[in-house]
Amino acid sequence: MLACLAMLAGLSGHAGLASAAPQQDDIAELSLEQLSDIVITSVSRQEERLGNAAASIFIISNNDIRRSSARSLPEALRLAPNLQVARVDTRNYAVTARGFNSLQSNKLLVLIDGRTIYTPLFSGVQWDAQDVVLDDIERIEVISGPGGTIWGANAVNGVINVITRSAKDTQGVLVSAAAGQEDRDASVRYGGALPNDGHYRLYARYVDADDAARDTGQAATGLTRRQAGFRADWDRPRGGFTLSGDVYDGELAQRTGSPVRISGANLVTRLTRRLADDSNLRLQLVLDHTERDQPNQFYERLDTVDLELQHGVHLGTRHNVTWGAGYRYSRDRIASGRTQAYLPDDLAMHWGSLFAQDEIALRDDLRLTVGIKGEHNHYTGAEFLPGLRLAWTPDSRQLLWGSLARTVRAPSRLDRDFYMPVRPVIIRGVPRYQFGGGPSFDSETADVAELGYRIQPSPRWSYSATAFFARYDRLRTQEPNPQGPAYSGLTEVRNMAYGNTRGIEMWARWQATDNWRLSGGLVVQGVRTALRPGSRDSSGSFGVATADPSHYWQLRSSHDLPGDMQLDWTLRKVGALPRPAVPSYHELDVQWLWKATRNLDVALIGQNLLHRSHPEFGAAPNRSVFERSAVLRLTYRF
Amino acid sequence: MTPTAIAPPRPAPALPGWLNPLLALLVLAMLCVALSGAAVGQPVAPAVPNLERSVKAAYLFKFLGYVEFAAPKEGETPLAVGVMGADDVAAELARITAGRTINGRPVAVRSLREGDPVAGMQMVFAGAASDLPKVLRTAAQNGALGVADDENGLQHGAVINFRLVEDRVRFEVSLPAAERSNLKLSSRLLSVAWHVQKGN
Repeated sequence: MLACLAMLAGLSGHAGLASAAPQQDDIAELSLEQLSDIVITSVSRQEERLGNAAASIFIISNNDIRRSSARSLPEALRLAPNLQVARVDTRNYAVTARGFNSLQSNKLLVLIDGRTIYTPLFSGVQWDAQDVVLDDIERIEVISGPGGTIWGANAVNGVINVITRSAKDTQGVLVSAAAGQEDRDASVRYGGALPNDGHYRLYARYVDADDAARDTGQAATGLTRRQAGFRADWDRPRGGFTLSGDVYDGELAQRTGSPVRISGANLVTRLTRRLADDSNLRLQLVLDHTERDQPNQFYERLDTVDLELQHGVHLGTRHNVTWGAGYRYSRDRIASGRTQAYLPDDLAMHWGSLFAQDEIALRDDLRLTVGIKGEHNHYTGAEFLPGLRLAWTPDSRQLLWGSLARTVRAPSRLDRDFYMPVRPVIIRGVPRYQFGGGPSFDSETADVAELGYRIQPSPRWSYSATAFFARYDRLRTQEPNPQGPAYSGLTEVRNMAYGNTRGIEMWARWQATDNWRLSGGLVVQGVRTALRPGSRDSSGSFGVATADPSHYWQLRSSHDLPGDMQLDWTLRKVGALPRPAVPSYHELDVQWLWKATRNLDVALIGQNLLHRSHPEFGAAPNRSVFERSAVLRLTYRF
Repeated sequence: MTPTAIAPPRPAPALPGWLNPLLALLVLAMLCVALSGAAVGQPVAPAVPNLERSVKAAYLFKFLGYVEFAAPKEGETPLAVGVMGADDVAAELARITAGRTINGRPVAVRSLREGDPVAGMQMVFAGAASDLPKVLRTAAQNGALGVADDENGLQHGAVINFRLVEDRVRFEVSLPAAERSNLKLSSRLLSVAWHVQKGN
C-alpha cells in the first residue's frame, strides 16, 4: 500500500528533474585528489543494509538526521517509524515502542554509546537530561520488540542504541547554531589527532528553549542546558580502545517555585579486541553521576558503576556463540521534599547478569538463535529472559524471521519505595502512610511472538514488515491496602493488571530517481489491558496503558535539487489517544538546505506547518500545545 | 518528570475481540506485495547511487596503479579484479576500464559470489559480504589487494577501506594489512589517503 502511495507520488513528481552529477565518462581520468573532493549525492545513500538481524530493527543514519528538522535526541527518534514519540511539553517526551506510552515509560531501554541512560527511579528515561551533538551521531539503531536476552530487564518493548561517530570521523572544526521562535541551540566541536594512531574530539553545546504554550497561557517547562564532553579513539587492526565523557548542567522551569536543577557527568571506556581469528572480546566500564534537584519534591543523587564483558566465538562451522557477564552498582540518595519520600532514602543497588547465545546455522539459509540471560536485581532476585529466533534467507535479498521471547520489567524505586506523605500519622507505633510503596510488587512480564519479513526486490526499493503479539502479565496497578489499617499504607503498588498487544509495523524505502527518495512507515496496533479480579486500581496517568494510538504513520521525501540544495519534508499522522484523550493529528515538517559553500550549510526549517497548534500528550486544558514555527540553522565545517 | 502519586479511580477497559479485521487485511496486503516482490528476478547487489558508485569504481581503477604486486606477471596479462556483493560497482568498473590499461596491462573485472576462488586476482573489492573477515583473509593469502566498504573494514583485515566523510568518498589504508598481503603501496596513495593505519 505504501509502495502504491509512493509510486503515485513519484509519477506526479519526478519528471523534469535535473541531475547535478558531473559527467561520468571522464571520471576515470580524475586524479585521486580530485576523486576525494567530489561531493556525492547523499540522498540515495543506502544506510539501511538489508541486514541479517532477525528483529524489527530500523536504522536512523547520520544523513537521515541531518536532513530532518530534528535538533534534539527525542525529535530525532521521530525518524524511526517503529517508535511512538509524543512531546509532552518543551522538555518532556513520552517515548515507547509497541504501546504503554507514558511520561514514565518503563519498557524501553535506551543506550548512548553503550551507556544505559535509564533511571532506576522509574526504569525510564529523563529525556530533559539527555543531549548529544546530532552531527556526531553515526546511527541510531531502534529495535522494537523484546531485547532482554542480550540487553536484560527493561528491554521489554524495545531498545534504542545511539551510536556516536568515531573520533576519527569527526576531525576538524564544526560550528553549528540554530535559532527559532521557541528555542535556540549551538554546538562547537573540534577533532584532532593523538599519538599512536589515535584521534579525539572535544565538544560543547548549549540549548535554551522557551516555555511551551498551552490553551490556558504558558506551561512553565522551558529549559537551559549546557553540556561539554570528549571522545578519544584508537582504532587498531586487532581491536580498538575508546574513552569518552560528558558533563552537563541545566535549569528546568517549573510552574511554581524555583527551577529544577540538573547536572551530571559520565565516563565510558571500552576495549575491543580480536583474540584469535574468530574470537572477539569487548570490555566496557561506565561511571555515571546524575543529580536532580526538584525543589519541594526531591533531590536525587545517583552514582553508577557498570562493568560489562562480552565474548563472541565461532565454534566449528555452524555455531556462533556469544556470551557475556555484567555487574552494575548504583547508589541512589534521595532527599525528600515536602510531599513525597523514597524510602530508604539512601539505597545501594546491585545487578549481576550472565547471558549466552548460540546462533546455529541449521542450513546455509537457515539460522536458529537460542539465548538466555539471567539477571539478578535488588528487588526480585534472579530473573530469566529466554529468547528463540529463526531466520530464513532464501536469497540475499530477503529475510523471513520469527521470534519467541519472554522478558520482564523489574521493579523500580517508584514501584517499591515511594511513600506519601513524608511525615505520616503514627497510630499505635505504626506509621500510617497515604501511599505505602509496593512491598509485594513483582516484575511485570511479557511473552512476545513476532514474525517479520524484509525484502529488497530491486536496488531501488526495499521494505520490511513485522507482525507482533505480546501477552503482558502482572502489570502495575495502585490498590487499596489489603491488610487493613494495621499495615502502614492505605494505597500500595501491586501487580493486578494484565493485557495484550498486537499489531503490524511496516516501512519502505523507494529510490524514485537518483535525486529523490521516498520513505514511509506505518504502525497499526491494539493495546489492551484489563484488571485482575479483585483489583481496585486507582492509577490514572501512569498506570495501565491507555495513551497509545491505534495507528501512526509517516511519509518522508528527500530531494536533491540542482545548485547544491536539498529539500526534505516529513508528513506524519498520529491516531487519537484514549486517556487522557488527545485528538489525532497530522503535521508537516519541511527543511530546505543549501550547501552555500564547501564549508557552510544553511538550513531553513518549518515545523508543524499544517496547523496553528496541536497537542500530543496529556489532559486538556493544561497540556502543552506545539505551534507552527520557523528555524534557521547554520553549520560550518572546516 | 516528577512521579506524582495518587490518581482518581477509573473503570477497567474491557478486552475486545481477538483479531482486528483491519490487521488481517493488512497482513493479506503485505503478503501479496511480498509474493509479487519475491517473484521479480533482480540483481542481488544493494543499491549504490550513480555518482557514489562511479567514484568508488574510479578509485578501484586508480588503486591498481599505485600498488606494487608481489608476483609481477609478464607484460600483457590482464590485472584481474574480483568484485563481491556490489554488482553495480563491478559493472561500472568494467565500463570505465574498457579500453584503458594500467602500466600497459588491461583490467579484467569479474563479479564474485561468496565462496568463489580469488587465486590469481590482483584486487578483491568486498562490497557486501556476510563474512567480511573471511573474504579479506582469503584475498590476503592470495596476495590480492583487499578493499572493503565497511565501517570497520580495516579491523576486518582490509588493506584499503572506503569511508564516507563529509559527503565525500575517502579511503583509509592499513600498512600492516598491506604487509601481510605482500603488497607495496606507493607514497602517493598514502598521501591522499584520509587516514593511514601504522603498526599493530
